[in-house]
Parts: sequence; structure tokens; C-alpha cells
Amino acid sequence: MSKGHVFLAQNSSVDYVRQACALALTIKKYNKHNATCLITNDPVPPLYRHAFDYINPIPWGDSASDSTWKIENRWKIIHVSPFKENIVYDTDMLLLNTNDHWWQYFEGKDLAFTSAVTDYRKNIITSDHYRKAFTANSLPNLYIGCFYFRKTARAFEFFKWLDVITNNWQDFYKKYLPQRSQKFCSLDVNSALAVKFMGLAEESVIPGATCPSFTHMKPAIQGWKTVPPKWTDVLSSYYTKDGHLKVGNVLQQGLFHYVEDEFLTDTMLAYLMKDSK
Amino acid sequence: MTRGVLLFAQNNQEVDYVAIANLAATKVKQYLRVPVSVVTNDPVADHYVFDQVIPVHDNTLSAKYFYDGTESKKLHWKNSSRVQCFNLSPYDETLVIDVDYILNSKTLSYCWNQPRDFLIYQKSFDLAPWRDAAEFNHVSDFSIPFYWATVFFFRKTVVTESFFTIVDNIKSNWTYYKALYQIHSTTFRNDLAFSIALHMMNGMAADSFAGHMPGKMFYTMGQDLLLDMNSDKMKFLVQRKDNLSSYIPLVTTGIDVHVMNKMSLMRCINV
Repeated sequence: MSKGHVFLAQNSSVDYVRQACALALTIKKYNKHNATCLITNDPVPPLYRHAFDYINPIPWGDSASDSTWKIENRWKIIHVSPFKENIVYDTDMLLLNTNDHWWQYFEGKDLAFTSAVTDYRKNIITSDHYRKAFTANSLPNLYIGCFYFRKTARAFEFFKWLDVITNNWQDFYKKYLPQRSQKFCSLDVNSALAVKFMGLAEESVIPGATCPSFTHMKPAIQGWKTVPPKWTDVLSSYYTKDGHLKVGNVLQQGLFHYVEDEFLTDTMLAYLMKDSK
Repeated sequence: MTRGVLLFAQNNQEVDYVAIANLAATKVKQYLRVPVSVVTNDPVADHYVFDQVIPVHDNTLSAKYFYDGTESKKLHWKNSSRVQCFNLSPYDETLVIDVDYILNSKTLSYCWNQPRDFLIYQKSFDLAPWRDAAEFNHVSDFSIPFYWATVFFFRKTVVTESFFTIVDNIKSNWTYYKALYQIHSTTFRNDLAFSIALHMMNGMAADSFAGHMPGKMFYTMGQDLLLDMNSDKMKFLVQRKDNLSSYIPLVTTGIDVHVMNKMSLMRCINV
């Protein structure tokens, strides 16, 4: 049964293809199961191509042509991925150790989400600063930054719901998020609604699960009294040639969701490129 | 295997740390029933309470504000000999206690019969719990976890010796480490140096080197007042939630308390 790591990238003012390349290189560096698939309609520079085993186009037109965050095409992932089992990532992530063991954890599941992400000091995030709609409307507290799916009927159903909700998000939010409803479309919220509608929360959103967890670097959930606009304003970070990342002198492990695109410097990418040759 | 408690007492212009150490030693003998030694370069009148009086040459001289309720004074503060405690301790198993950590229970005796070679408190509890305790959670807002060098236990092993070597190195290069860990305090503090050394011993990652001290560490700030001590009871006036210059009474029974107001502590022991 094929297994692989999947990313959807649509460039805007941010070069998400470049981010996906860096992530794919870290996956290849640490993992035995390291097949990667980039889903994009953007040109992929030759320099980046070796990071990906598959580069597949986004089908059925660009549903996100008028969007900044480009999340409207995410529901298509299940239709484009060449793998039976998939770990899907936001592109602004780096893997810092192997996550091969995750596959064993996902055995027998159709979908798996984490509800336990950590700050850079490895504290499980309990703040709902960015998730008021989740708390107010009792949504499953899942994070979509990294998740697992197996191509089963239920997974296809989940992505179908994601399609319908994402393309009619104002109507869904009005009806199903009566409290603290958001004024923008959120893939986390849409996925939580889909999971809720399907009654999947208990089996697919495991409280405290370390797979598929990640370090989440949004600034307001780092446990700080003073919240800067960007974490990179207040913390120095060091990425060594051997792939060790320290943020604020704390060694980072696992999957690191850096959020700020300025974090991925050319030097870091050059280290990863050199490693991969 | 020898075991005992080590105290540090360096008097300044107004605080008689040796007298407070005398009280601490009496309490140790009462509750923990182990020998107590004191490290000092000041005269010790009541030798009988101490197992050993260990001289130390400490020529460092920093200053800090000592609070006594709503008043404060800037006084000398000698606290750098603690980094030498591995070499200074005459015991194989040593419990180091600040002299202003007042024992009222046997809780710390659980240190002796457990497998970890180094124990320290990370979490602490302010007896005025409404106060902002962020400075005791992390060494600074954006930095690593804070540990208390107020009370800790160590066995003499190669690994714990490495820890104290690192602490000594941090002390020697304080300006560098202070900047590296975004510490705002200009004064060298053992708590902060220990926190950095623990972080380094943990490989800059999650906790594993140090175990947790038994029980909970309670404290009162210098702005609070200790009124009386009798047997295992302590009477305090602690700052109010809504008005930090007014107070509410509080009595503790049978719990150990770190009393940061040394002036009120001295008044209670009639120094």
C-alpha cells in the first residue's frame, strides 16, 4: 500500500513552492517512507524538482484565484494525491526528526487530526486566542496544519464536505457558528465542521495525541505576556548544517510550523539542498 | 554514604544571615534530623548547632533592593559562593536550603530515599496567589523555564559535578549568558544561572536531568510581612489583591515557606 507526504502550494506574495521544497527535503532527510507529492499549478524551478517524487496539477480550475490564503483548492487533494495513505502538510513547516512511526499510529484510521499542538517551549497550547469560534460553538478542536487520511469512502466524504463548506462558507458560518463567528474563511473551522457533521470527532481527533502534532509558532499562543506581531521579532533562531534548529535557545524537535515566511532563509534552504545531493 | 544540609550565610550591612542560619539549622534538626553545615566568612557565635562551619572567601559584592513591606533599601548581596557547593559540601548527599526557607514539616526528608541525583523546584506557589508570578515561570518572557536555587538536592556524581561546573562557567560569563537568554536583571542570580545550566544539561530541550523536589514550594515576597513564628505556625500580612499597599492576615500551619522579607524574619527571631 503506497504511503506519501503531500503538500498543496499556490504562490501569492509568498513563494509556497519554495517552502514546500524545504519541507520535502527535510522529509527525505529523516524518513524511510519519504515519497513526496507537490500539488501546484505554479512553475517548479528545476532546482527544486528533486525534492518531489510527484508534481501534480490542481484539477478543475483554480477555485482560489481571487483569494489571498489560497485554501479553496484543498478539498481536491484526495483526488490528486498518488498515494493510498497520505500525510498532508501546510508548506510552512520543517520536519526535524523522523516521523516514520506515525504510519503505525495511523493504522486502521480513515482520518487523523491532532488537537494537541505545542509552543516552542514544548507546552501543549491551551489558549483559544485564534480559536474563539471553536470554543464558542463547541467544535472539535482539530488543527489542519498536518493531518492524515487514507483513501476510503469516509475520507472522500470528508473532502466532499470540505468542498461544500469552503465554497459556501458564509452560509455555513451563519447557520452553524452562531457564537463568535468568523468574518473570514478558515480551513481549520471548515474541517472541524466537516468532522462534526460526519460524527468523526471521537475516532479521528484524539485528545493529547502526539501524531500528527506540531510546534505552532503563531505569536499569541506562545505563553508570552507581551505578544509581538511576529515571533521572529523577539526570538533568534539557529539552523545548523546538521539540521538542528534552536529557537530562543530551545532545541526544536518533530514538525515545526514556522508561520513566518521570512524564517526560511536562503542559507537554510542551501543547507537542505546540499544535504540532499 | 553521608548526608546533610548545607546553608549559606553572608551578612551584609543590615541582614544577619548567620543568625537566620541558626534558626534554619535548628529547624533542620527538628524536622529532618540530619547534620547541618554553614558556609560563611562571618563570625558564628552558636557553633553547637552546626556540624561544620565552612569558611569561604567571597569577594564579590553586588547590591540589590531588600524589601520590608512598603519600604526598601539597597544593600550588599553576596550570593556567588553557592556555585561552589559541590566542592564545599562535606556530604555525599546534600540538601542546600536558603536560610530564609523556613521549615515547618518533614517534607524535604523525602529527598534522601529516592533515585534521582539532582532535585530542584520549578513550580512555586505565592501565598498571595493573585500576584503576577510570571518572573518565576520563565527566566524572561521569551526565554526558558525558571528553576529555584532556593532549595535543591544533589548526590556527588560525575554528572552533578558537570552541572555545577556549567553553573560556574555561566557565572564567569554572566554578561554573555544574560544576553543570550534575554535576561533583564543586571545582577547575577543563582536561580537564573541554575535555570540556564539545567536547560543545557537537558540538551536545550525537554526536562530530564533534574527531578522535582518533594512537596510544593510556597513563598512570600519582600513586600509581605512575617509577624510571628510559633512551633509550625507562621503569621503573615500579605499584599491585598486590589491594593498592593494594604494587607490581609494569613496563617500557615505545617508548611515550609520561603520568606523573602529578611527584615521581618529577623524581627521574629529577635535579632
